[in-house]
Amino acid sequence: MIIHYKRPDVMNVEEVTERAEPRAFSPQDDMPEEYRKAATRMIQFHANSEIMGAYLERPFIRQSPSLDRKLAFSAKVQDEIGHGQLLYRAAESLGIKTREEMLDELAAGDGKFLNCFHYPMTEWWETPMIAFFVDGAAMRRQATIKRTSWEPYAHAMDKICFEEGFHIKHGEDIMRELATGTRRERQLLQSAFEEWWPRILQFFGPTDDQSTHHDFADRVGLKTMSNDELRQAFLNAYLPKAEKYGLEIPDEPRIREEEGRYVVEEDDLDWEEFWEIASNEYAGSHEQIDSRAAAQDAVAWARKALDRPHGS
Amino acid sequence: MTANQLPGPDELTERERKTVEALVFGLADDEFVLAERYTEWQVRAPTLESDLALSNIAQDELGHARLWYDLLEEFGYTESELLFERDPAEFTHAAFVELPFEEGDWADAVLRGYLYDTAEQLRLGALEDASYPRITDRIGKITEEESYHREHAQNWLERLCDDPEGRENVQAATDRLFPHALALFEPVDPDREAAIQELGLRSEPLADLREQWCAITVPFLDSLGVRAPVSEDGTLPELPDDHGRSSAHTGHWPALHEELTRTYRELDRTDTPTITSDPDHAQ
Amino acid sequence: MIWEVFRQEQAGEYHTHCGNVHAPDREMALLFAQIQHARRKPTNSLWVVPKSEVTTVDADTDGVEFGGTTDKSYRWVSAYNVDVEFAEEIEESDREQRQAEGES
Repeated sequence: MIIHYKRPDVMNVEEVTERAEPRAFSPQDDMPEEYRKAATRMIQFHANSEIMGAYLERPFIRQSPSLDRKLAFSAKVQDEIGHGQLLYRAAESLGIKTREEMLDELAAGDGKFLNCFHYPMTEWWETPMIAFFVDGAAMRRQATIKRTSWEPYAHAMDKICFEEGFHIKHGEDIMRELATGTRRERQLLQSAFEEWWPRILQFFGPTDDQSTHHDFADRVGLKTMSNDELRQAFLNAYLPKAEKYGLEIPDEPRIREEEGRYVVEEDDLDWEEFWEIASNEYAGSHEQIDSRAAAQDAVAWARKALDRPHGS
Repeated sequence: MTANQLPGPDELTERERKTVEALVFGLADDEFVLAERYTEWQVRAPTLESDLALSNIAQDELGHARLWYDLLEEFGYTESELLFERDPAEFTHAAFVELPFEEGDWADAVLRGYLYDTAEQLRLGALEDASYPRITDRIGKITEEESYHREHAQNWLERLCDDPEGRENVQAATDRLFPHALALFEPVDPDREAAIQELGLRSEPLADLREQWCAITVPFLDSLGVRAPVSEDGTLPELPDDHGRSSAHTGHWPALHEELTRTYRELDRTDTPTITSDPDHAQ
Repeated sequence: MIWEVFRQEQAGEYHTHCGNVHAPDREMALLFAQIQHARRKPTNSLWVVPKSEVTTVDADTDGVEFGGTTDKSYRWVSAYNVDVEFAEEIEESDREQRQAEGES
């Protein structure tokens, strides 16, 4: 039971914009539908990405080349599912969709998720691309969401950021091992990097984001940093890391340094593919979405058992 | 009791060492292969919460496997030799733990956990006063985690058996798994089985543990409306031919071993990276 | 009947347990909780829950080892032999993890 001293009236968007401080709004506040929908869209995307990221990485629990790596990979995939759990709850608290509806949308191919998780990952030497670079990029972004205006989202972020540090270290440790391994290992790592690098740069989306979603999310404090600022912050920390491990940065997409800033030549990136992915229409998307959907469907009977009253 | 204590790993006689190995390989391989199968449920369990719980159980079992393999490493084996370079035919786990899960067969997952962890509780109980301190060192940590596993499995079984469809699935899993589970009480090396008790390693013969296991599992399943394949006079079903341990494995095992050693082989590895500290030096 | 009370000081913060009240029903519980637990300390919201509805698992009473008994250090940043200083959010995660594990 929740009680309120000062039950606010339904806020309009102007009021929301005015009051959009970090963690300003919670389920006690009567938020306008536009806010609730925008926040649901953003958190659902985030939650879906945790699930699909975990789905992509799960085969490597088995393929880990040592017992400790296997333990770490299992723990990491487990954490991602835990993050999904937190985020779907944060999304549910907006009162637009239930978790079940969101998971069903994901299974039906209507749920959106991060571009990088649409591509197949089949080899061990590819794993740092997700576990170090993509997770590193995600963590940069997540740290800024601790200051989002939707309190349940920020609370989820507290726990996620607490746990996530190990994921990036785990990814870096695998990369370090490959980068200091045999000549062949170094070559395989380099070729994986070349394949994944453009996708990683697209993680933050196009910087001249024309989407109407972005403006609104920014105005009502759901987002606190622009795509461009986030990509800058990512490149500042992670480009030197790549170089430290002897990775050669591909010539394309061109990245120039201007007054201490990295400028990515965005025309060198394949935006057609990016938007195809964003609408779940990429060939790899179907494979990932459908096989996970089949698994979800196969245990529907057991899920039913949880909904039945028991023990009476 | 202490009068009969065995010495440390370096001072054991050949016979003592081989006897300890015959015991510990079975424990280690069971935990390892079961955990390997459990991880298949990650990102595939019925709900997010149950996914987290099963992942944790998998990690617990892997942690237990590591404790037992570490004990074997004191005899000079390396992790590479124990896991990645060992001929799959030489693994000593019961085939019970290597059987694949059919997609969506959550009844198999929880029933397997129940049958296994009940057996685990009994066999660890019989090792509590083992004459080799390296074994007793490890029992407490493992037992503690197993009680969650049993509670988890029992709760799920009770829930699933609440309705006809669920009960049918649990019954089908019981018919398939129960005969295989009996192999958990088969010796890894029949020639050394007598020595395991003589040297004071295990306090009870395997047959007695099996009897106790049946006395727990059969009535519990019965209370759920599920019949174990045991006849009225208590006759147990026959062991399948390829039940693992000292006999053959099913075809599922070499395939699984091939998959789990894939990266190690493709990268021509000879060594296995560690993250955690040696269990005997940690904490 | 006893009701457990969780108080949130300011919007955005967590509701944390602050005490309980005796009351015969929900409405009375809310009335009493406001006075007993929110009259002096700054309060933005209270959650009031029947004590009988709170289910517990306790390390001592139930003999539970939260987080398990075997080594799970692979879940912590500090197990990895690589630097954390390059990104502040990872440094912070490491710091929080060390605090949670009781290191200074």
